[in-house]
Amino acid sequence: MSNWDILWDERAQFLSGFLSTLEIFGLSIVGAFVIGCGLLYLLEGSRKRLTMPLRIFIDAMRMLPFLILAYLLYYGLPSIGIRLDAWWSGVGALAVYHGCYFAEIFRGNRLTFPPGQIEAAQAHGFTKGKLFFRLLLPQIIMQTRPLLGNQLIYALKDTAFLVIITVSELTAAANSLSSTYFIPTEAFIVVIGFYWAISVAMEIIIKQCGRFSAKRGFDNV
Amino acid sequence: MSEANTSETAAVSIHHLSKSFDDVEVLRDVELEVKTGEVVTIIGSSGSGKSTLLRCINWLEKPDRGSIHIAGQRIGVHEDGRPMPVRELAKVRAQTGMVFQGFNLWPHLNVLHNVTEAPIHVQGKSKREAEELATALLEKVGMSQKHDSYPNTLSGGQKQRVAIARALAMQPEVMLFDEPTSALDPELVGEVLAVIKDLSAEGYTMVMVTHEMAFARAVSDQVVFLEKGLIIERADPETFFTTPKTDRVRKFLENHDTPSSA
Amino acid sequence: MNASAWHMLLEGAWTTVWISAVSIAIGVVAGLVIALIRLARIPIVDQLLVLYTSVARATPLVTLALFIFLSAPDLGLDLNRSVAGILALTLNTTAFNAEIWRSAFRNFSREQSEAAMATGMTPWVTFRRIMLPQMVITSLPGLVNEMSFLIKGSPAIAVIGIVDLTRVTNRISAVTYEPLPPILVAGVLYMAIIGCLVWLQRLAERRANRLAM
Ligand SMILES: Nc1ncnc2c1ncn2[C@@H]1O[C@H](COP(=O)(O)OP(=O)(O)OP(=O)(O)O)[C@@H](O)[C@H]1O
Ligand SMILES: [Mg+2]
Repeated sequence: MSNWDILWDERAQFLSGFLSTLEIFGLSIVGAFVIGCGLLYLLEGSRKRLTMPLRIFIDAMRMLPFLILAYLLYYGLPSIGIRLDAWWSGVGALAVYHGCYFAEIFRGNRLTFPPGQIEAAQAHGFTKGKLFFRLLLPQIIMQTRPLLGNQLIYALKDTAFLVIITVSELTAAANSLSSTYFIPTEAFIVVIGFYWAISVAMEIIIKQCGRFSAKRGFDNV
Repeated sequence: MSEANTSETAAVSIHHLSKSFDDVEVLRDVELEVKTGEVVTIIGSSGSGKSTLLRCINWLEKPDRGSIHIAGQRIGVHEDGRPMPVRELAKVRAQTGMVFQGFNLWPHLNVLHNVTEAPIHVQGKSKREAEELATALLEKVGMSQKHDSYPNTLSGGQKQRVAIARALAMQPEVMLFDEPTSALDPELVGEVLAVIKDLSAEGYTMVMVTHEMAFARAVSDQVVFLEKGLIIERADPETFFTTPKTDRVRKFLENHDTPSSA
Repeated sequence: MNASAWHMLLEGAWTTVWISAVSIAIGVVAGLVIALIRLARIPIVDQLLVLYTSVARATPLVTLALFIFLSAPDLGLDLNRSVAGILALTLNTTAFNAEIWRSAFRNFSREQSEAAMATGMTPWVTFRRIMLPQMVITSLPGLVNEMSFLIKGSPAIAVIGIVDLTRVTNRISAVTYEPLPPILVAGVLYMAIIGCLVWLQRLAERRANRLAM
């Protein structure tokens, strides 16, 4: 029986690892997106007393390795009485960490907005919330699409760190198979293929969104 | 026989030069002779092949047919048709100095080093020797206050004067100018033309493409009119600007406010 | 935290720094070499390099490190942990650096090298004196940014048993039963390292602006 046959027989394990990674990834990027938008909203026209600590928090996150944050949630939080299991620590860390990156991407784009548009909307009686959700956010998201796409790929890759805090996901599946049957090369080639496929699929989706938004005229603001 | 003879005495001699860009003939059988100390101006409408002619002279553009000699030395190919190795080509090229419409200063080097770069790394001059030469040349073009400035801090006119100093630093046999003032704001054109005029007075050999008719008339020894890659008229500036032989040139001069008094 | 804990943390930091530094040094040069090879557009080689870049950019460092470390014996290689870690980081960062160098090549204007050739420089001298220095200056901000990413990804090598600045916090808390302090200190040390790189990147950007004429 060749090594590849062994892998085929164990396809269920790969599949569950793959689905687990997708689940973690999907949940955490939704969380990250919400956090990113929330941070942008708080940064938008708030008092300096609030924006300063937020900016410091975002910059601090961007200067930390993801795994340190995961460690902090998984190993560190119990010391102050908060106990999360590995899976939730991982998802939480991913969401917060990449949420900060999203916020920074949004903020960078927000700086390039001409003030005229906002003033015109205010003159028409838009409230702050309406202005933000109806006017600013959709434009910012459309314009930062390529950067967001890049960040999604980083987030996908960061899910693999969770194997270190014992979450069972795709890389963990390869690791356990390779130690059970001593077929590391084949096992990891398959898993790397999975990651590659997801990345390529995401890139294609981002490009398709680009076409859509070009049609809607979002790009030439 | 006579061809070889003239090649030795002239700064630039061009024979039967032809060049096409994918099926479009840009230069057609061009003959041009530039004697040492002479200033030749090339005039013509846009797309007539002026830049291409100039760029063939230092082989930035490779001609299809014909020969070009710089101070008697063939450029680009050997007399027997063998292609010239890059090192040798570079040596012949060093005999020409080129000034571009867009200046093309090297932005990572300051003014002084823009000028010393080629003398040091092509001619193998010592740093001190190159800097002395550069200092003198920058003085000549009126840029001695700006040794340490980087190109992005200079005005267009200043950039072009540094570019002229850079080309002069190789002590070339002939200076090639491709519309040196076309990219400049009108109020900066004068300072660059003044430098070029000084050079002509000092006896530098120059081939120049320009749209500044008054200037061409004042400094040229020979004016050449290029039309669709053909030289259709050549004369001394007086004759060229006062009594052009062809209708084409007369029309051209009417459209460019001809200098009645230069 | 006692003195020995501090000592261990600093050792972990040193491991992170030296392994990252070696990978960065190799990765910057290898990226340039790949960019140059891709300029030549050699059939098959070019496609292979495109494939490598695409796969390397999509592969998590943890997965790559495990792959290299575990399957090296299969390929008849005897890699120790540090070499496997360096190899993983290098394979990853090289792919990104190659793209940074390539975009510097693409944006390099032909007029710049024409001006050099016109003064009599040979193509080699033109490359060395005019092209390369400008490309280094324009690429440096991107390269330094990629260095920060490498440091942030470096804890991945813990998975093959290297005791780096992240992993060492496990070792310390196994003795002290207090995981929070070492993790926080490690975080601060990472911020210090990456803070230096961010500062370097600012300098590099200011320098690069000079080229934007
Ligand atoms: N690299 C090239 N590839 C293809 N065609 C070219 C190239 N360079 C020049 N041409 C064409 O050759 C013709 C002559 O160009 P050239 O630049 O010599 O004209 P010019 O007289 O200098 O015009 P201008 O006054 O606008 O500078 C033009 O039709 C131009 O489009
Ligand atoms: Mg031209």
